[in-house]
Amino acid sequence: MTRQPSPIGSASLLATTLGTGFFLWLILGSVPRTPAIPAFARKYQTSCTTCHNNYPELNDFGEAFKKNGFKFPKDDETFVKEPPVMLGAKAQKEVFPKAVYPGEIPGGIPIGFRYSGVATYNSKQPLAIGYLPRTDLFVPNTFTIIAAGSLGERLSFWVDNDISAGGADAAAGLGDGYLRVNDIGHYVGLPKDLLNVRMGQFELDLPFTQARSIDLTSYDIYSQASIAGVLGTTNNPFMFGIPQRGIEIGGYSNKGNFEGFEWSAAVVDGSNNGVALRNSKDIYVRVSQRFNLERDSESRKEVQAAGPTGPRDHTSLRLGAFYYYGRNALFPSGTITLPSGTSPIADIHEPFYRFGGDFLFKYRQFELYGLGMYGHDENHMLVIQNGDTVTGFLPAAPVTFSGGFAQANYWIYPWMIAIMRYDLVNSPTDYQTGGAAGNGFSISDTRSRISPGIQFLIRANIKWAFEYQHRWQQPIPNSTELFRLNGFETGFDYSF
Amino acid sequence: MKTSRKALILAALVAALLGASVSWAGDIKGKVNVQGLRSAENIAVYVDAIPGKTFEAPSQHITIDQRKMTFVPHVAVVLKGTTVDFLNSDPVGHNVYWPSVSGNKKLAHNMGTWPKGQSKPFQFNDLGVASLLCNVHPEMSGYVVVVATPYFGVTNKEGEFEIKNVPDGKYTLKTWSEDGKPATATVDVPGGSSSVELTVKK
Repeated sequence: MTRQPSPIGSASLLATTLGTGFFLWLILGSVPRTPAIPAFARKYQTSCTTCHNNYPELNDFGEAFKKNGFKFPKDDETFVKEPPVMLGAKAQKEVFPKAVYPGEIPGGIPIGFRYSGVATYNSKQPLAIGYLPRTDLFVPNTFTIIAAGSLGERLSFWVDNDISAGGADAAAGLGDGYLRVNDIGHYVGLPKDLLNVRMGQFELDLPFTQARSIDLTSYDIYSQASIAGVLGTTNNPFMFGIPQRGIEIGGYSNKGNFEGFEWSAAVVDGSNNGVALRNSKDIYVRVSQRFNLERDSESRKEVQAAGPTGPRDHTSLRLGAFYYYGRNALFPSGTITLPSGTSPIADIHEPFYRFGGDFLFKYRQFELYGLGMYGHDENHMLVIQNGDTVTGFLPAAPVTFSGGFAQANYWIYPWMIAIMRYDLVNSPTDYQTGGAAGNGFSISDTRSRISPGIQFLIRANIKWAFEYQHRWQQPIPNSTELFRLNGFETGFDYSF
Repeated sequence: MKTSRKALILAALVAALLGASVSWAGDIKGKVNVQGLRSAENIAVYVDAIPGKTFEAPSQHITIDQRKMTFVPHVAVVLKGTTVDFLNSDPVGHNVYWPSVSGNKKLAHNMGTWPKGQSKPFQFNDLGVASLLCNVHPEMSGYVVVVATPYFGVTNKEGEFEIKNVPDGKYTLKTWSEDGKPATATVDVPGGSSSVELTVKK
């Protein structure tokens, strides 16, 4: 008699997968953010507000500066107050290849520092789901070093590293660390800035940055991982908002001016933690089109629009789409731990994808933006014989989720910004498996939250931010009662 | 005898006429010393209002440029009624505004934004100091000091100044500086050069 295959029901495996997911969710939810870079303020002897309207968010000029390889969009040399150190006279270009091609390094050490601390006040959580302190002062508590700049005509770089996070001397590791070749398409006759190359570790060209977000908490959809739990094998640690290691090509049409088409395509490892988890590589593609809605045709050609009280961001609408594809590798070690012991198991690759669309609308002191995303992971059930040997896999219902967010920002004053955000995640798997912590994660497939906030620029480089999260209802285990894990956060950070 | 007398009378008449048509003027040269200030540069020195005397605004404009994200010159002294042309020589958008004139917020003005190579004029008809700012580059600053007489100068790095063609007479000399308190001195211009020293304190 042949035993019927039994679905994976290992309590230890379930705990491991759920624990991993919860751990990743918690980490990403509190990931330190990379802010403005004071080294540029020193290089050009200019205020942070030249490039940032609410640091680290970039204004139109800051976007142009970043796209131009961290240089002023026009006549950069005339604005530099710290001249670079030339690593060879310009005339050496003619001598190449009989000499090393001349480059440059920033004249001053291009380093900035940032401290960030967040104090939280949480609503009372039932003890049934674990202890959570009502208040926690300044966690995460990070000290970050940031270095970025130009290494010559077509080279730029960025490195940021959290020197310490959480406790004393705790290191949180590298955020972004990459080298960028700007306008490499120049050598094959392409229009300016249509082809750039970036390589190293970097946040993907996301519609809205997580690493340099103004928000105190992460976008929920960015933190969503696919974990099947009791429903199958899917255990994909990939999250949209994490930095990746790889190579990215991309560019901008219209010579980098404020309108036009932007694109990027990246090949990445799929993670940034330790060695690569698998041999296969992931791909990510993003396209967007920005429409300049300024009425004045002359103003539309400039980096910033000409307002009656000074330059300002263009009135504009940006629409975009993105797609991510990878193949998650399970059981790379060739074994799996079952209640009965260890069983050999063939490795399996589960393709997954994420795709979505986004928009960004700007008008004077008002911004409205949002994103919608759908995720899909292939899933399997293990075929276990005699309770101790895995003999194969059966296709199972894919793990899917969808969701997104919408956010509105309004500058009441240049130093006071009101924020309202709505996050939504629809994840039938999380609902069915009880979610990351093994308890009832939500009372339905969908969980949402509203996060109003306000931020104050005490100085151009010092910010105090407040955010309240009104979260979805969750069931208390073994009870008919519900609770909400609401929270209030206040954080300050400064850069120098 | 009659001829020599006529010649003498004629000479006396000519001398009287010449004396009446020539107004004697001199220069005021001097030095401003500073106490507690980082630099003696860019301090405005001017002859204060002369009772009973008014001066017509010049037809010639003066120019204040925005170049490499700075106002050039940093301090400009103008006679009341002078028109200043604000030029943008930078390939970035700039803005010129002042929140008040010597604290009078009713005289605040914002000139907007204009592209590289263009200039916008403004006639300063009120005495006082306008602090020039740019709302997109907050580190930029400049000053327009509007005074009642055409006799003024701005110190160099050494604190030296020169005011030319000041009619003979006794005047009150005043200073204005970004960080220091105003200083006052009385100066006598007897024809030729006069020399004066002032001290500006924080």
